Amino acid sequence: MSAVNQKYSLRGRLLLWVSGLLIVFFGVTAFGLDLAFRHAGERAVEDVLDVRVIMLLAAAEPDNGSLSISSELPDPRFAQAGSGLYAELLDARGKALWRSASSTGLQIGLDELPGAGIREFRRVLASDGSKLLALTYGVEWEFQDGRVESFVVQVAENLDGYTAQVSRFRRQMGGWFLASLVLLLFSVAALMRGVLRPLNRIEREIEAVEKGQSEQLGTGYPSELEPLTRNMNGLIVSERQRLQRYRHALGDLAHSLKTPLAVVRGQLDSGNVVDNALLATQVERMDDIVRYQLQRAAAMGSGTLGRTQVDAVAVARGVIEALDKVYSGKKPSHTLELPKTLPFHGDRGDLMEILGNLLDNAYKYCESRLSLAMQALPAGPGGKPGLRIQIDDDGEGIPDGLEEALLQRGARADERNDGQGIGLAVVRELAEAFQGSLEIGRSELGGGRITVVLPGV
Amino acid sequence: MRLLIVEDEQNLRESLQERLRKEGFVVDSAKDGEEGLYFATEYPIDLAIVDLGLPGISGMDLIRRAREQGASMPILILTARDRWQDKVEGLQAGADDYVVKPFSIEELLARVQALLRRSGGWAEPVLHSDPVSLDTRTQKVSVGERELELTSFEYRLLECLMLSAGKVLSKAQLTDRLYEQDFERDSNTIEVFIRRLRVKLDPQGELNPIETLRGRGYRWALQRK
Repeated sequence: MSAVNQKYSLRGRLLLWVSGLLIVFFGVTAFGLDLAFRHAGERAVEDVLDVRVIMLLAAAEPDNGSLSISSELPDPRFAQAGSGLYAELLDARGKALWRSASSTGLQIGLDELPGAGIREFRRVLASDGSKLLALTYGVEWEFQDGRVESFVVQVAENLDGYTAQVSRFRRQMGGWFLASLVLLLFSVAALMRGVLRPLNRIEREIEAVEKGQSEQLGTGYPSELEPLTRNMNGLIVSERQRLQRYRHALGDLAHSLKTPLAVVRGQLDSGNVVDNALLATQVERMDDIVRYQLQRAAAMGSGTLGRTQVDAVAVARGVIEALDKVYSGKKPSHTLELPKTLPFHGDRGDLMEILGNLLDNAYKYCESRLSLAMQALPAGPGGKPGLRIQIDDDGEGIPDGLEEALLQRGARADERNDGQGIGLAVVRELAEAFQGSLEIGRSELGGGRITVVLPGV
Repeated sequence: MRLLIVEDEQNLRESLQERLRKEGFVVDSAKDGEEGLYFATEYPIDLAIVDLGLPGISGMDLIRRAREQGASMPILILTARDRWQDKVEGLQAGADDYVVKPFSIEELLARVQALLRRSGGWAEPVLHSDPVSLDTRTQKVSVGERELELTSFEYRLLECLMLSAGKVLSKAQLTDRLYEQDFERDSNTIEVFIRRLRVKLDPQGELNPIETLRGRGYRWALQRK
């Protein structure tokens, strides 16, 4: 994560983005509106100039072989000096034949004489420095004697009014846009407060959990946050259970080591010759205890955080391949009922521990046959499917009434084969850590059947 | 049979070595992975006992490399780690069996015997080769109903021959398997012991259980049962 991402809060980031977006949006809109307004304004001025040219032509009369405009013009602004509306009639060489009274002392100027029937708008800087919009129009006049001569009519309007109008429009538009921008930003800030309120609540509730004031996060969160709070609650519960198991395991370890230690100590203190057989039994007992507690600790290590998706079939095949090697003298035949792949949501080591312990027992206790079947179970609330493992063998099976004892920590059904009890007890602990179960039954093969169910999460 | 122990813990290494020698094995020992790899690839080792937690080259790497370099003897892992993941990884790396620490020496011996038997193609602890049978657990040898009185060296020589039943073993190979490196090697001794074994196994000279192949060595000639 970059430093920038860490620095700004969600609210800051959103405000920054929205402000940026609004400024760009308003900028583009203002530019477009301004352009449209100016176009419309110029078109209006042009239309007026057009009408005036026609009006002037209507007022033109032949005069001594030339043209002149003598009659009173309908727009009085032509008659007022400096009124801002000017008109000229020029001959083919550009010489003024007539000029409106308003244009006295003012040069409008003309670059090029337009041909007959040509209308030309242009912006002109007049001799007094004012900006004008001028329309020049070339005409051909047929006199009564049949002579045809070219003339140019030029009408110009001062643009001050138009410019003022544009400025006024811009000021108004700017004002409104600014007001809208401020209003929108305030709305976004208010919206953010509302939207982020549940997050603030999560923060407060986590703090309460940390301080031990509450057990877990409350309910009634928006649907988008519901999965988050649900998962966090799951994590809190599983971590709490893990901690509890750790405490118990440590206590169990310490306490259960005390008895064999007491026996050894008694031997040493008795003053008699040390009984080697007794010492050996106690050492073995302590070894069993340590192994069992170590395996339990390993099983607890993964918790919810250690879970990843592993292919249960690949893990099972790895274990079987390894056990085939170890029991290559016995070479039991095995039936595998496995799909091609089977996703398991958990820790690879845990699954290997479950399969390793159960399959090792099956290899050890079977006569000549064993079977392994695995299948997916329906997905849990988190959409992750569960796993069902069933292992059968054709050995003697587990005697009735011994099942419970076997599942107790470290108990053994058969002193000859060390580890049987530990294995099953560890698998049960593991299954329980996955909120699952272990069941001991009778197999159709004649021996024992162990079924482990690890429900979906 | 010649065994290799690779173990960094001196006490354990020495006590293992002592006990295995007492059992009649020729034992080489190495204190780290590199030395172990050297022995495993350069010496005619019949079985290696490898601790997984070694300094330098780990036990797992040692096994992998030894296998890559063509070492095919059975390998038994010693591990303090009881997780199945470690056992499976070790077995997948090329080991054949494992023993978890702390272990009883009897258990280790049983595993070693079983691996040696298996590598010779024998499934049961008693090697039957009619009418001779040799119990690897009790080290008792009988021909039919008659039990033989063998010296330790005679027993080991017979075990060697029977474990490799059908295969020719040269005198040099037998010497490697039966003598410590430092001992004086005299191939005539092998001849003497073979002769004595023949007399004990087959006093009438009807069975001819040990064939001599001139210039090549000896072969256990009776069929496995």
